Amino acid sequence: MNSSFINMEFLIDTFFVALSGVPIALLVTVVALAIALPIGFFLALTRINEIPILNGFTKVYVSFVRGTPIIIQIFVLYSILPLVLASIFERYNIDFPIYEVNTLWYAFIIFSFNTAAILVEVFRSALKTVNAGQLEAAYSVGLTTAQAYRRIIIPQMLVSAMPNLCTATINLIKATSLGYAISLQEITLKAKVAANVGYNYLEAYIDIFIVYLILCITVEYLFKVFEKRLSRYKAVATA
Amino acid sequence: MLEIQNVHKSFGKNEILKGVDLSVDKGDVVVILGPSGSGKTTLLRCINFLERADQGTATLGDLKVDLHSASKKEVLAVRQRSAFVFQNYNLFNNKTAIENVAEGLIIGRKIPKEEAYKIAREALDKVGLSEKYDSYPSQLSGGQQQRVGIARAVALNPDVILFDEPTSALDPELVGEVLEVMKEIAREGTTMIVVTHEMQFAKDVAKKVIFMDGGNIVEEGTPHEIFVTPKEERTRRFLRRVLPGEYDFEI
Ligand SMILES: Nc1ncnc2c1ncn2[C@@H]1O[C@H](COP(=O)(O)OP(=O)(O)OP(=O)(O)O)[C@@H](O)[C@H]1O
Ligand SMILES: [Mg+2]
Repeated sequence: MNSSFINMEFLIDTFFVALSGVPIALLVTVVALAIALPIGFFLALTRINEIPILNGFTKVYVSFVRGTPIIIQIFVLYSILPLVLASIFERYNIDFPIYEVNTLWYAFIIFSFNTAAILVEVFRSALKTVNAGQLEAAYSVGLTTAQAYRRIIIPQMLVSAMPNLCTATINLIKATSLGYAISLQEITLKAKVAANVGYNYLEAYIDIFIVYLILCITVEYLFKVFEKRLSRYKAVATA
Repeated sequence: MLEIQNVHKSFGKNEILKGVDLSVDKGDVVVILGPSGSGKTTLLRCINFLERADQGTATLGDLKVDLHSASKKEVLAVRQRSAFVFQNYNLFNNKTAIENVAEGLIIGRKIPKEEAYKIAREALDKVGLSEKYDSYPSQLSGGQQQRVGIARAVALNPDVILFDEPTSALDPELVGEVLEVMKEIAREGTTMIVVTHEMQFAKDVAKKVIFMDGGNIVEEGTPHEIFVTPKEERTRRFLRRVLPGEYDFEI
């Protein structure tokens, strides 16, 4: 055992260390999604309906996020945000210890910022799959725009958005591993710290690998189940 | 019942409606004929605010609105009192037949769910779909979907139902069942404006036939006046084209 290529004991111990980072990774994922879903949807609407100023703003925002590596977005936001906030707080004489804020909060902001831009495109293409006639039919029976969206458009849009939403979520989960760059106590960071002690990097990487794999496969499965339920009305064979 | 006055509508530089007037009495069926592109669909869409007219007024009973500048509330009021049957049915894909019919009652009209479903069942029974309450549109034939579309309109008990070529997307063998249903609700005294190319339906059911061309109403009258003794050359030319062999006007 000792002389073998892989230290089994460390591999198993560190697996649980890596696993203990799952709650933080999932928390960041869930919070980022909760913030990004409504923002992404709203901005997608401004694109689809070509709302003058917001449309242009959204375009720039989306291409900025899509055209730069997440790790750079993390570094930029992580260094700029405290400066901006500090100067705002200073101006309004708010006494807030900005440099003592938990990195978790930065993670929420950074990953929401990134995910919302991805979701703009997901929702934009999904909205396009819903025929304009659906909205007109809703109007014709006396629904308001808000009611039509809530009851007719969004349920249909979600079905075609599901595969891309699943991809975006899985990418987000994997991207939280970059949180180690700002000392976020997530899976990758925890396993690497454990590995530092005895230089058991290979074992740590295997553990990290397995944990993400389990996470992502589970999430993918859940999305499949949900998608099936949402698309009930399509699944049936035509009469 | 419904009176439309001086409707103008342009898309860009194209003037599609050039001042159309139209009136329908309660319980009457008005059929609109006309070549492709003459503005028939646009006219119906303007009445229901699916399109904003550039100018024009509509009077529906005691409700008078400006078709160009009506407020959101007025738009909703007009839609509450009218219904639309679409060429491609436009059933809500994510809802069953009965949910399609009940949607406007429950959400649009705030009718309690129980009662709405009762009305919806009656409407579906009337169009011969008692077996299909819980079918999704994807499980129905075109003819069945359009009958749900008609049930959805009828259930609202509107002052007027606007039909835009309700049978022209259907396979020929399915046209009959839809026209039958339309005749039935016409017999029951539903006020209807119907854009169609079904000449026999116009002859049998219409109280008034309107011939539109180039954004204007060219001629209107009883089916007899339009089909047997049309006055305008453009009307005759149109009829000769759509009913070849049947018409030899020599006056
Ligand atoms: N949203 C739109 N934008 C630009 N042009 C339009 C629009 N809707 C209709 N048009 C144009 O307006 C004209 C009249 O269209 P409309 O659909 O009212 O004709 P129609 O009489 O219903 O014809 P059909 O018998 O083919 O249905 C057409 O030339 C059409 O291209
Ligand atoms: Mg048309």
